[in-house]
Amino acid sequence: MAEKPNIPVLPWPAVATPTPDEVYQGESDQKKEYALWLESALRQSENFKKPEALDRIRVLDCTSNMIIGHWCSSLFAEKGAEVIMVEPVGGDPLRKLTPFGRKEYMFKDTHGGAVGARFLCEARSKQSVTLNLETAEGRELLKKLAVQADVIIENAPPGDWDAKGIGYRQLSQINPRLVYCWVGQLGQWGPMKDKPGNLDPTAQAACGFVHGTGAPKSFGGTPTRSGWWMADQVGGTSAAIGIMTALYYRESVSGRGQFIEATAANGIIRILDYNWGWYGMDGSIRPRYGNWDLAINIYAVNPCKDGQIMVGGGHDRLWFRIWKTVGKDRPELEQHIIEDPKLKNVTDRPAHYMQVETYTTFSEWFKDNTRYEAETKLQAEEVASGGVSFFDEVCETPHYKYRGHMEIIDDQNYGPVLIGSSAFLGYRTPGRVKWIGRPTGFDNDDVYRRLLGLTKADMDGLKGKGVI
Amino acid sequence: MAISFEEYCRDVFDPKKVFSKPEPLKGLRVLSCTQYILGPSSANYLAELGAEVIKIELPRRGEPMRHTTPFNEPLLYPLSKWMPDKGTGLGFFGANHNEYFLSVDFHKPEGVEIVKMLAAKADAVCENYRAGTFDRWGIGFRQLSQINPRIIYQWMGGFGGWGPGRKRASYDILGQAQGGCFSVTGWPGPGKIQGYEGKFPIGLPSKHTIWIMDYWGGMMGAFQVIAAMYWRDNVSGVGDFFEYSQVQGAQRHLSDAIALYGRYGLVAQRWGNWDPLLCVHGIIRCGKSSYPGSQFPAEMEEGFCLVSAYTDADYAKLMKAVGRDDLAKKFPTHDDRVKAENQPAMYEALEVWAKDKTKEQVEEFMHKNGINAQRVMNAKEVSTSEHFLQRGNVHFIDDPTFGDVFSQGPVFMASETPPRHKWAFKPVGADNEYILSKLCGFSKAKIKELESQDVI
Repeated sequence: MAEKPNIPVLPWPAVATPTPDEVYQGESDQKKEYALWLESALRQSENFKKPEALDRIRVLDCTSNMIIGHWCSSLFAEKGAEVIMVEPVGGDPLRKLTPFGRKEYMFKDTHGGAVGARFLCEARSKQSVTLNLETAEGRELLKKLAVQADVIIENAPPGDWDAKGIGYRQLSQINPRLVYCWVGQLGQWGPMKDKPGNLDPTAQAACGFVHGTGAPKSFGGTPTRSGWWMADQVGGTSAAIGIMTALYYRESVSGRGQFIEATAANGIIRILDYNWGWYGMDGSIRPRYGNWDLAINIYAVNPCKDGQIMVGGGHDRLWFRIWKTVGKDRPELEQHIIEDPKLKNVTDRPAHYMQVETYTTFSEWFKDNTRYEAETKLQAEEVASGGVSFFDEVCETPHYKYRGHMEIIDDQNYGPVLIGSSAFLGYRTPGRVKWIGRPTGFDNDDVYRRLLGLTKADMDGLKGKGVI
Repeated sequence: MAISFEEYCRDVFDPKKVFSKPEPLKGLRVLSCTQYILGPSSANYLAELGAEVIKIELPRRGEPMRHTTPFNEPLLYPLSKWMPDKGTGLGFFGANHNEYFLSVDFHKPEGVEIVKMLAAKADAVCENYRAGTFDRWGIGFRQLSQINPRIIYQWMGGFGGWGPGRKRASYDILGQAQGGCFSVTGWPGPGKIQGYEGKFPIGLPSKHTIWIMDYWGGMMGAFQVIAAMYWRDNVSGVGDFFEYSQVQGAQRHLSDAIALYGRYGLVAQRWGNWDPLLCVHGIIRCGKSSYPGSQFPAEMEEGFCLVSAYTDADYAKLMKAVGRDDLAKKFPTHDDRVKAENQPAMYEALEVWAKDKTKEQVEEFMHKNGINAQRVMNAKEVSTSEHFLQRGNVHFIDDPTFGDVFSQGPVFMASETPPRHKWAFKPVGADNEYILSKLCGFSKAKIKELESQDVI
């Protein structure tokens, strides 16, 4: 099992990306005019001719061993901020993580090191310096950096930086304009506050997300975590909103920074739609409902011949189109649903036994259709639908390739790396990725010289003492 | 320092004090021409931060999300003054706090005129109709930026308005399905996985219980709008146009899976409640229910608990505590533990140990032994948790229309300019008079006339 399989890897894209002529073939000028305008306004190939929204901002990302802070600073880096990752000496432990410990699937740099994909993808356009905050000299250097920074993000155990003399209370004295953000799982205060080493999915488990994800027990399911550190990425995005707002308020009103706290649990609780409202009304505990939806019938992922496919269409317009599509192959199934008086009214349909009837009937049709066949037939009736895609399929879907949802960064240190590109498509200030990441401490020389005026001798001395 | 750090945090982040602090986006006006969750939530985060958000819906029935609620049971009345016997569903709940509610029929020329009058005085527009629809109606970015060059216009949707799939409609779970999220969530299966028979439950690709690509996409959109305001007010003086695709957002989330495909041809698969990067770091089944007498299915079933002990020291401690020193010796390094073929043995041992325990007992035992653990909490446990109540992550809103409603708290905490919730939402068209007289100068008679013509 541990043998590295010999997978022939075709260079991406394995199938050529369609050309604009192919994409817009047969469409009238009037119909394609808006799409072509969008394309001219948003094409990533024009990004580097355009300004960056945040290129006056300097962010020190002092988080480690968690993705929440790195995700947050990635959003700033994509929007043009200068982001410096301040890592412990030896590098962020995340760098070493690779699926199932398979080192052969890490990304080697040209200096003899290697890094796992998870870390590398959130090191985009950032610089890397090392700094040992356990030493007094290291903390002094951090203070000097903090004076010149707009934003600091940290995720040390609650109160750790405060006890070290580099918390918000102390740094805001030496730089009142500093926006200081703490990120973590559950919080730096309160009965369940973070303990050292708390990582995602702690927040996923604590906020009701895991309990609500997966199939009901009667369908053979268990509570299920997200397959990635999703709560960190949600919490990191809420941290980014917090920091961005504080910067906006600093410039337009107060001239001062502030203290922000964003946690993965807070982020997920905020977006767990009606869990709390429902509990507040009648004490309901939102149950797991698998790949169906409690509130909409049809809005689900269904098994089909070669996998699973999503179909959405609760309201009447789509409901009848869906059954019309089914009826083309299996008229008796359409008839069964359309003639059922209990399914006539949209407001009657979400009841559980109605959903069972709907999806049981629907599956009869799906079992003879592949994802592609079902998708094609449903989309002919303009029904929102699409197969559950695996990552080879995701990366090779013509629409995503054409729009640049993924791009190859030909990096100085890591060579060509395919990544999910910035999701910030913009007319005047689009997001962008400049390089994929840096080896540990790659920018020590540049940053410590440029910002702190350290000489080579200074840095050699600090290196010798294990400070950087 | 006079007070401890925790006391300091309790003070500066105290949710009871938010209304004695300023709002960061005060004075900014946002038009939210949105429906479902993706667009509405992006405007909602701005409303939490003090922007004046005007939500524009079609008259009478309002937007579709008002008619979406679990099993079609819980509703908040009235839907509108025209339909007092209908209610708004809980689907609308988390994405429309603090907003003003205006009803306008975009299909009528008078309606389009109203939108233009509002846009002349607005800082941002959030819109998620089908790409190009607003442009065709004369109220897209190309037209509104002529009226107001400072306007920041964000379109949000599933697949984007250009490229081969530009006509595809989308919803949240389609974003999850097509972005790859399902393919990595849940247990492996169906069918046997060679070498792993009986090692884990069989599963299917699973959806996230939240409409996550909508709600989280809205966060991305809100961040982007505030960044654009920063750039406009400090640098350029002009607005901007953004297109946010939720499928692209999903793919951005999972950039590492894309990198592994691009370099090595690997296709990420599911690993259930364990973690491909760390071990021990997984959710285990505890044999006993915490509520043996309950009638709720959600309470009758056995509990689950995250156990996290991935460092060598923590792992050794864990295995000693559960009486499995043999496993501590067998997998001494993280490289040993994290291997796919080794992970099941450790979780199996933990589940055997936890067979006669509730999730609370497992969590308490772990904490006592210095191991990180977190029990899997349900909606009721979160809603009644001291931790989340003290922090204001869940709270009651004294809502002017609906009375006491229990709700999620705002999206983050801030010492100087915290976000806040003022009301949950209002009926369709509740602020027609206020908005139209304040921003369009319409008289009472004019508003009545527009109402009778079904424009508002």
